[in-house]
Amino acid sequence: MNFVLNLSFSDLLLLLPEIFLTCWLCVVITVDFVSPRLPKERLAYLSVGGLLATLGCLAWFDVNQVSGTLFGNMFVLDRMAIFFKIFILGSTVLVILASIEYVDRFTLFRGEYYALVVMSALGMMFMASANDLLSVFVSLEFSTLGFYILVSYLRDDLASNEAGLKFFILGVFAAGLFAYGISLVYGETGKLVFSDMASAPATPGLIIGFLLIFAALGFKIGAVPFHSWIPDTYHGAPTPVTAFLSIAPKGAALAILLRIFIVALGTFKPTWIYLLVAVSIVSMTYGNIVAIAQRNIKRLLAYSGIAQIGNVLIGLAAGTKMGNDAILFYLLAYLFANIGAFAVVIAVSQAIGRDEIEDYRGLGRRSPFLAFSMLLFLLSLAGVPPLAGFIGKLYIFIAAIKEGLYTLITVGLINIVISMYYYLIVVKQMYINEPIDPSPISIRGPMKAVIYVGLAGTLVIGIYPQPFTDWVVAATLMFANFVTPAATITPPTVLIGS
Amino acid sequence: MLEELTAVFPILSCILFLPVVGAIVLWFVDDEDTVRSSTLTIALVELALSVFVLLRFVPESAAMQFAERVQWIPALGISYHLAVDGISVLFVGLTAFLTVLVVVYSWDTIRHQVKLYMMCLLALETTTMGVFLSLDLILFFVFWELMLIPSYFMIKLWGGGAERHYAALKFVIYTLLGSVFMLVGIALLDINYHQWASLHHSDHAYSFDLLELLTVPIPIGQQILIFWLMFLGFAFKAPVFPFHTWLPDALLEGPIGMAVVLAGLKLGTFGFIRFSIPLLPDASKSDTVVMVVVVLGLCAILYGAWMALVQSDFRRLLAYSSVSHLGFVVVGLFALNYQGLQGSLLTMINLGFSTAGLFFIAGFLYSRQQTTQLAAFGGMARQVPLLATFFLIIGLASIGLPGTNGFVGEFLILLGAFEAKWWVGSIAVLGVIFGAAYFLWYYERSMLGPLGSAVKSTMSDLQLREMVIAVSLSIMILWIGLYPSPFLRIMNGSVQALVDRLHHEKTAALHDGMTERR
Repeated sequence: MNFVLNLSFSDLLLLLPEIFLTCWLCVVITVDFVSPRLPKERLAYLSVGGLLATLGCLAWFDVNQVSGTLFGNMFVLDRMAIFFKIFILGSTVLVILASIEYVDRFTLFRGEYYALVVMSALGMMFMASANDLLSVFVSLEFSTLGFYILVSYLRDDLASNEAGLKFFILGVFAAGLFAYGISLVYGETGKLVFSDMASAPATPGLIIGFLLIFAALGFKIGAVPFHSWIPDTYHGAPTPVTAFLSIAPKGAALAILLRIFIVALGTFKPTWIYLLVAVSIVSMTYGNIVAIAQRNIKRLLAYSGIAQIGNVLIGLAAGTKMGNDAILFYLLAYLFANIGAFAVVIAVSQAIGRDEIEDYRGLGRRSPFLAFSMLLFLLSLAGVPPLAGFIGKLYIFIAAIKEGLYTLITVGLINIVISMYYYLIVVKQMYINEPIDPSPISIRGPMKAVIYVGLAGTLVIGIYPQPFTDWVVAATLMFANFVTPAATITPPTVLIGS
Repeated sequence: MLEELTAVFPILSCILFLPVVGAIVLWFVDDEDTVRSSTLTIALVELALSVFVLLRFVPESAAMQFAERVQWIPALGISYHLAVDGISVLFVGLTAFLTVLVVVYSWDTIRHQVKLYMMCLLALETTTMGVFLSLDLILFFVFWELMLIPSYFMIKLWGGGAERHYAALKFVIYTLLGSVFMLVGIALLDINYHQWASLHHSDHAYSFDLLELLTVPIPIGQQILIFWLMFLGFAFKAPVFPFHTWLPDALLEGPIGMAVVLAGLKLGTFGFIRFSIPLLPDASKSDTVVMVVVVLGLCAILYGAWMALVQSDFRRLLAYSSVSHLGFVVVGLFALNYQGLQGSLLTMINLGFSTAGLFFIAGFLYSRQQTTQLAAFGGMARQVPLLATFFLIIGLASIGLPGTNGFVGEFLILLGAFEAKWWVGSIAVLGVIFGAAYFLWYYERSMLGPLGSAVKSTMSDLQLREMVIAVSLSIMILWIGLYPSPFLRIMNGSVQALVDRLHHEKTAALHDGMTERR
């Protein structure tokens, strides 16, 4: 393959957010080095400032519909990439704001923490734009590298070290699978760019290659049976990192999954639909049933996250434009509810020092605001109207029902009922049980801001979802050509009055 | 006149959101007495608005009145669509009426976390109103589901029984289980509309609007599938036998106020007459469906009455009698004729006065003896004559004595049932006899005869607030019993349109009738 690199200045405009963020990352590290006495909180705000500037740039791209490809189609900037970048950066901003208090627990390298978070975000931005297998691999590993360090950031904490090790071993294993998958796919087709593969014949090597790639991405999104690292890693990692891990990488990996399944493998939909249906059913059921038995809120949210990914995969299994819209919408709803829930977990653990569900006893008395926010976030995750999660689930179910995936829908709906059970366990602890220690819990400004943003997102998307549906519909417009047409229309046979 | 009302003033939105806005305002009030009086004010204003709607409602008309419609989520075809017709308007009034009474009842019976209780109650009122007012199926579903949250808290936090945690969870999980199936049914309706609309190049790609869905034909196989999916949702909520097992627990363990709302407002059966029957007329009258549903109804009548006969706890007795009464309603609905539908609709309203009234009586008894077990009573009529009198009036209404409201409704249902199938009617009649038996037996043992050993001699008769509740319920009972025609006139038009739709005779007229007044 010959690469002729023709780069003009205007091409680099497409990379502007990434370039800017890279420079900003260097600034953050330099500032940390140059003035070690600077309160680390300032570094957080400095990072947030850079991220917000990047967000502004992306928003400008989105409004002006800037798009294009770079480096021989390796890097693509389309509206979907922009959507996912905004998603990733938005969650990064919220995570950094939620970390400010927590960072005091770290004994060393408090400043580098922020730099690492921004670095991971940068890697994930590349993931959202990756358009061929190599750039996917590189960006995936780039972002995961930051996470390896972040997960084991509590140096003296055994659980955190264990989490880091587990995450690292399974992550590297997944990377190996991925590389092997790429080599098989490239060997069979001679192509790396997704859109070039669209017409490749289904040879055994290609199928195995894609299965390996799917497994590797399954690790990233934490779908069953690739979920084994999730509970321990979520449990052991510093809570803000858990929050970050539960949202941003899932979004970035889903961007890649969407491109692979719809663009590269769109023609094989009748085959892969079974794979996705199976993974989706198993993820939802396993995640929800195991969540019931959890005593630790972080583990509960970990398993609920596995189940939520099962829900997202319903949309992917539908494989239509509407299904993709639904995935994007669902992710938005999930972002606000999950980050909000984790923010409450961080705030409570700052006050109590533990994350067990029984520590939430009487939270309604101790801090009505935290308890009420948690209630809304959990109900949104459970899919109770009129919160964002409900509209998201509805969107996904309608997309799937349109494709006739009744089994999947039935399982999904029964799972809603199961999930309600364990979310209500937390609600019960907060509101029904009397607190052991009735002293009120105070929340600091940045944390409050995160919770308010979570609440606003959860409520606004639920009550007035139109701008968001418009946004996701526009973001996946490029899929309209690839996706196989909707199920054939059968004319109704019975007429009223006949 | 109506057009102006629709355009100038969105009164239904006010009715819908007044309680929840009130609940939010209550959050900032600290004094408990102020909380109580402001809740009562809100409930009374709500009642006044509802009465206003009832007065301005044009009777004998099938039209959707006071309609309001705004796009909500165009991408999915979901709109904010409110309206009332002859089927729903009475429930709006009933909800507002019962809420006022519950507030009055809770005035001194709820002693802890008064503010939260009143907020839950008002939130519950909004969601209930939403169920009755919504014409968009998703909007309806939103309120249907939201209702669970205040109910859950009310049962858990203010329930009296030891098993209230179990009861609350069971209630939520059961109802949720039913409603997720209903959601599939709703989505299938939408997909069917979408397919039809794309064939006919209609503007709206998707729609959940009842009035738009009514214009689209649905293949019979699809109809039956959707019917059963929606049936599950409504049957769990109603609850129809054999999905009723949560009801005795919830009614026994929860607070009286919650029991009044749960047992007094027949949301599940309302769902049948509002959505299932008009949307799926062919399924509703297919032989299997009618057979299964009617047999379930008959089972409920007999089983509920039989179980009520052997209960020693008054609230449990009421729960089972509620199951039995719902059996009547279901049998009347699926007689699918004019009398049956009209009788069922009227009975649903009646139960809001009589069953809810008996729960208030149970509350009066509870506040005197801290239990509703039979053993705690006996010969109370001497001690508390007024309570005994109102107990008798409301109870007789519940068993359908002529002159009370219960008679009119049950009589119409039986008429409809006999007209549809004679054996259905004759089995249903047995329920009336059982009903008289269990009520009178309990009444006799608790109120008449020698004074029970557990009855305190210091027991006081009805207080002022209790009198207000008992008297206003009795007035409504006797009003509907002696002069039901204003109520029947309100529902006639819509019931007639429904019957016509079911029997295809005047399909065109129906379409005209169902279009909104502009």
